[in-house]
Amino acid sequence: MSRGLQTMTLLVASSLVAGCFGGTHIKPEERDIDVPVLDLAFQPAGAMVLDGLYESVDIQGDMALSWRKVYYLFSPNGNYTAAALGEGDSGPAFTTLTGNWKCDARGLSLDDSEPLPLEQAPGHLRVSAAGGSLVLAQRKLQ
Amino acid sequence: MTGKLLQVFGVLFVLALVGGSIAGFGILKDRVKVVVSPDAAATGPDPIAELKDNVNVLSGELGTLQQALGTNFEQLAAGIDERAGARHAELMGLQRDLAAVQKQLAALGQENVALRQQLAQLGKQLEALPAGGGMQVASAPGGAAALPAEPQPQPQATPAAVETPPPTAPAELAEAPKKPDASKPKGNFLFGGAKFRCDEPHDYEIVPELSRVAFDAKSTLHDFTGVTQNVSGTFRIDFDDPQGAWSGSVRCDATTLKTGVDGRDSNMWEYLDTKNHPAIEFTIEKFEPAKDGVDVVRQTAKGEVVGTMSIRGKQKPVRMPVQLEIDPQKRLIVKGEMPLSLPDYDVPVPSQLGVINMEKDVKVWISLRARVKAGGGK
Repeated sequence: MSRGLQTMTLLVASSLVAGCFGGTHIKPEERDIDVPVLDLAFQPAGAMVLDGLYESVDIQGDMALSWRKVYYLFSPNGNYTAAALGEGDSGPAFTTLTGNWKCDARGLSLDDSEPLPLEQAPGHLRVSAAGGSLVLAQRKLQ
Repeated sequence: MTGKLLQVFGVLFVLALVGGSIAGFGILKDRVKVVVSPDAAATGPDPIAELKDNVNVLSGELGTLQQALGTNFEQLAAGIDERAGARHAELMGLQRDLAAVQKQLAALGQENVALRQQLAQLGKQLEALPAGGGMQVASAPGGAAALPAEPQPQPQATPAAVETPPPTAPAELAEAPKKPDASKPKGNFLFGGAKFRCDEPHDYEIVPELSRVAFDAKSTLHDFTGVTQNVSGTFRIDFDDPQGAWSGSVRCDATTLKTGVDGRDSNMWEYLDTKNHPAIEFTIEKFEPAKDGVDVVRQTAKGEVVGTMSIRGKQKPVRMPVQLEIDPQKRLIVKGEMPLSLPDYDVPVPSQLGVINMEKDVKVWISLRARVKAGGGK
């Protein structure tokens, strides 16, 4: 092999090596897409006045089968309106509700139902029910 | 001599005793008085009088008791009468309710019969339709749809105002599988809904934003991973299906596979012939669980998915060991990996001037999250 050909081969190989560096295997423990985990210290809410827009940021349990997203807009006068995005026959569809709410030491009562345990963390509410739990984050209604 | 003297003295002693006794009796006969007195224990109140008193007291108490008992018996009788009346009223109410329920049941039975008749008529009309003309919907006499026009009663879980109308098709006529019904709010979105069981068949739909399909490759110089999140697919899975009759497919867009080096990506797409075969697809045919690999309580499963891999237009049967679990959000998590030989799919093994060679075997892995699809219940 002539000296020129050897030099050319080395140059090509070097360029390829340089182009190939920069990647390694994704480690098995890093294969999953990170799902944001809520790290909130919830405490019993007690009697409180709910006011403003809340958006679900985590739905767990069987209710997660029905709803992908839930919004509640609470008014201090005891009324609320809500919308939930669920699986309709022809794809995702919103369902809306209006009603009244009460909140005391026993929890959150919607439409005069049995109070549900209500917890709060800064900017968040967590409501627990037989069908799972719903974490709501307060949003600004602009 | 002495004997005679003793006899004389004896006679004299006896006479002296007799004389003394007579003299003593004479002296004391007027001074001694014999009195017979009653026994000391017999002294006290007259028992007969006492007995009489006791009888009188008992008689009085008995009279009082009789009076009290009489009052109590009257009250008891009144209470029994009152409760009997209340029970009777309740019984009458229950009888009325029962009669109403029976009446409703009879009405429902009649409706059921009518629905079945209409269904049978529909079936006959559909059979009578010519082939290819099935898009014409048969109508009942009078132009009305054969299905009952009245909506079926829907339970109202809460007094909240529901703005989305409930479905009107009778459940018996719809063969769609049960699913979480989003059209009916169940207690302010927080109640009810379907109870999820992984040991029932569900249709799942991959969530691309939370899924990855990739391969790990090795070359002379270093290792690299080609990965894409452009994944789609649906599959029907029952963790505990004894037949392992799973079905569905997972598909990824090969043109979106990225290794982190643009030049290498271009070569990879060329080798995979993505212009003609843009998709890599795995068709699921069966699930073979590992021994004790299915835990319905923990909602996990381990085993091998048997299916067909399609790469570059070439299909090969494969088996991929997988692990499944349900996350708190009721999404199905599927993880698995398997070796794959590029020549099996006619994929050229990359080599740069014979200096940098890629190994012909790669490891394909998946990390998928899938949701229960709408209408994907059992």
